[in-house]
Amino acid sequence: LARTTPSNEQVLQGTLDLLILKTLSLAPMHGWGLTHRIEQLSEDALQVGQGSIYPALVRLEQRGWIDTEWRTTENGRRAKYYSLTTAGRRALGQELASWQRFVSAVSLVIAAEA
Amino acid sequence: MLHIVRSAIARVRQLFGASRLEREQDEEFAFHLEMEIAHNKRLGMSEADARRAALLAFGGRERFREETRDARGVVLFDNLARDLRFALRRIRRAPGFAVGAIATLGIGIGAAAGIGTIVYGVLLRDLPYHDSETLVRVGLLTPGLAGNRDLHSEATYSHLASSARSLSAMAAYYTNDAVNITDGDEPERITVAMVTPNGFPMLGVTPIAGKLFATMDTAARGEAIPVLISERIWRRRYGGDTAIIGKRIEVNRGGRIVIGVLPHSFDFPHPDVDVWYPASVPVDGPSIGGGYLTVVGRLAQGASAERAEAELNALIPSISTRFPRITPDEIERSQVRVTVQSLKSAIVAPVRGHLVLLGIMVGVVLLIACTNVANLFLLRAEQARQETAIAISLGASRVALAQRFVTEGLLLGAASIGVAIPAAGVALTTKFGFDARDIPRLHEIGVGADTVALIVLAALVLGAIVGATALLRAASRAGEIGDALRGVGRVTGSAPWRRVQRALVAAQVAMACALLVSAGLLGRSFMNLGRAPLGFEPAGTMTFGVSLPFNPYGPYAVAAAFHARMTDRLSELPGVTGVASAMNFPLTSSSTPSQELRIAPVGAEDLAVASAGNLVAPRFFEVMGIPLLNGRTFAPGDLRATPPNVIISQELATQLFGTADPIGRQVVRSSNLRANRPYTFQVIGVAGDVPAARIEDGPSPVIYMPLLRDGDGLPAEVNVLPYVPRWVSYVMRGAPPTPATIRRVVREMDPRIPPVNIKSLEANVAEATARVRLTMLLLGVAAAAALMLGVVGVYSVVSYAAAGRLREFGVRLALGDTAAGVRRLVLRDGLALASAGIVAGVVLALVGGRFLRSLLYEVSPTSPRELTAAVLLLVAVTLLAALAPALRAARTDPAVVLRGE
Repeated sequence: LARTTPSNEQVLQGTLDLLILKTLSLAPMHGWGLTHRIEQLSEDALQVGQGSIYPALVRLEQRGWIDTEWRTTENGRRAKYYSLTTAGRRALGQELASWQRFVSAVSLVIAAEA
Repeated sequence: MLHIVRSAIARVRQLFGASRLEREQDEEFAFHLEMEIAHNKRLGMSEADARRAALLAFGGRERFREETRDARGVVLFDNLARDLRFALRRIRRAPGFAVGAIATLGIGIGAAAGIGTIVYGVLLRDLPYHDSETLVRVGLLTPGLAGNRDLHSEATYSHLASSARSLSAMAAYYTNDAVNITDGDEPERITVAMVTPNGFPMLGVTPIAGKLFATMDTAARGEAIPVLISERIWRRRYGGDTAIIGKRIEVNRGGRIVIGVLPHSFDFPHPDVDVWYPASVPVDGPSIGGGYLTVVGRLAQGASAERAEAELNALIPSISTRFPRITPDEIERSQVRVTVQSLKSAIVAPVRGHLVLLGIMVGVVLLIACTNVANLFLLRAEQARQETAIAISLGASRVALAQRFVTEGLLLGAASIGVAIPAAGVALTTKFGFDARDIPRLHEIGVGADTVALIVLAALVLGAIVGATALLRAASRAGEIGDALRGVGRVTGSAPWRRVQRALVAAQVAMACALLVSAGLLGRSFMNLGRAPLGFEPAGTMTFGVSLPFNPYGPYAVAAAFHARMTDRLSELPGVTGVASAMNFPLTSSSTPSQELRIAPVGAEDLAVASAGNLVAPRFFEVMGIPLLNGRTFAPGDLRATPPNVIISQELATQLFGTADPIGRQVVRSSNLRANRPYTFQVIGVAGDVPAARIEDGPSPVIYMPLLRDGDGLPAEVNVLPYVPRWVSYVMRGAPPTPATIRRVVREMDPRIPPVNIKSLEANVAEATARVRLTMLLLGVAAAAALMLGVVGVYSVVSYAAAGRLREFGVRLALGDTAAGVRRLVLRDGLALASAGIVAGVVLALVGGRFLRSLLYEVSPTSPRELTAAVLLLVAVTLLAALAPALRAARTDPAVVLRGE
């Protein structure tokens, strides 16, 4: 099965919110689309546990960072679409900044000479 | 700011629209799965593979749902309902466990709530009087006087009351429970209290109608004595009409004017009192002893009981200044001492120790009950391990599992309320065998809202705690999921914990053993009492009593004439073959020997024996079936003889004269109180022995004096006899008349005298054995409860241990041991557990038997028969309790167990 490729990484705890916010900032989409979009964007390197994306979405909705809306898909199915709110957009900026700080810090540690 | 509002709205919407959200969520999941399946099919999977892969990728649906809901913050109510359903399902699947746990918890909590209510009601609650902490009981102890009597004489009371400064008030009272209300059509026996008028304002009672006594009111003889009546008799007899105030009622043939009605809550000096008289305490013949007054007082501002006691004792010598007839020498010799203690502790002092002990015992029982139920829970958790492990591996969170255990505990706790309330009811109805006469204020106690609230609270808290302990164990074992899934029991449990568990169960068995032995001993006592020689013939008798009012029955001759006439009237009734009158009958409290009736041979006063006195008609011995062993019964002229003639019981004869013939010997009635001068009698007969108040006390020394129709020849001093025969009972033999006939005959004699205590002598015998019977029943119930606790304890611990040895059993079975061999192993474990308890229990029973001794009759506290029976019963029951786990162990499938390795 394609999903058991060893190179696949489980999404790091805490970064799922960032990935969702970022992906939703590109376009509103439904939950299934979101999981596949994340995998697609990471070229299948990141794998979102399909079961864990929904609790994350509920959490983000409660923080007021995303909004939900029932819409019809292109093949005529009703689906719940998630989109970023203004607060969400602001939060994305902060999350991105802190992620960058984290990455560069980790890089510094890794790059350190013995 | 906006997003905070939005967030709040989202939460509220989610909370209230929970079911809609749930529906939407299901739709969302369905959509997700549909998309994923379609996607998988596009990748070339079959329909079935695509579906399975989609479900797998979606992850643990259980956890997923929970987490989504947890995030929504509505988890609590949702989960509670679900956990309750789950717990109910689990309980339904194991009814035995549920019944055991519910009964154990219920009995433990019920007993604890019962004793808690009694301890609170008797020991802790304030007395229902105004400012009750400063009320004190003022006693006067006379060394050498029986029965811890601490009563004041008129002289000591009036001296102390008028001199004491550390007490702002001192009131005295005495009661009389043989008084008749004689107005109206139906005479009635009541209890009256003579209380000094200052007592009522001191206690702070407000009449619900009318007023209290004036200070100068007195019951000195004459018409129009003012009285207060109880709310109870006011409603029952006088229709609750305030018009009764100022009206005349008739008590003991005398007119009394009702001046007030006291509320039901006023139970001074005790709750049976229906009429209060204003007591006057005239000091006619001043004396130190011979007291009959109970004294209560109120401490003056800032005074303590100790200071008051010191002051009052210092006042004792000055009694002789006020009453010169009491010499300083006499005061010195009497060694009287005043005691002052708080009224509440004076009332509860005799029982505090008992109650505290009982409370501790019940607390231990409750602790054991909880431990047992916790053990049962652990066992259940053990048995449900596989289920739990599957739930965890399917993604159920630990917290959710925890909630399930606690919910199950709560549910069982709640169910145990249904057992606990009746158990508390039984406890409070039987009062743990205590008597309202033994324990003051006990009559006020019953199952109230407080008790029920206590039970509900205790049941829920204990249920939750018990559930939580099982959870702690389950949580610490979560790492062993793999084993559990493979069906391998690897019950370890820390060694100390298991040792504690086993020790507790052994303690339960010990307790059950001791209680069984005690119950058995009392059962045998009861049987022995039934066979004990009574010394009289109770079958085919009927008795009743009358109390003659002072007016006109004051003189001995008038009273004696009444009894003679009554005896004649009763003898004429058809079927009656014999009638006799007497002061009292065997097996009643009034036949107890008293220090105030000490009988000694003339010339050997040191030999004085405390005796019971009785005043009997000539046919008494014949009608009662008491044999006359020597001499003759009474005849006319015996009272006029000098000295007057008496009959003594065999026991008294032996104690006074040994084997010598007592007929014609003279005895003297002595007293250590100067007020009672000695009187001399001549013995004319010896009667067979009868017991006093209790059969188990054996024969009692009795002196019988004549109750004769020719009483007009009575010596001038009435004091020669213990009592004037105004309170007298009748005994009839033959075909006894009905109570209605007796009432008719008495009414014809004097319509204003009610006959009381209409019953057979057999009823007296039954009442006399009631104490042993009640204690036996209580111990029996306690033994049964302890046995049940023990069974549950043995079952849970043995099962638990057996579950931990499944692997061993599997190996044994695989290596050729038989199922019977494995069964024996488990049964032996149970027996080992029980035998430790049984040994301890036997020791406990042997040691504790001493405390039972006063209740035992003709059976030794170490009777081997009862010990053996209890031990055999326990062994049988233990084997029974270990049988279920033994059978389970023998069914172990070696293949399953060994595969688990």
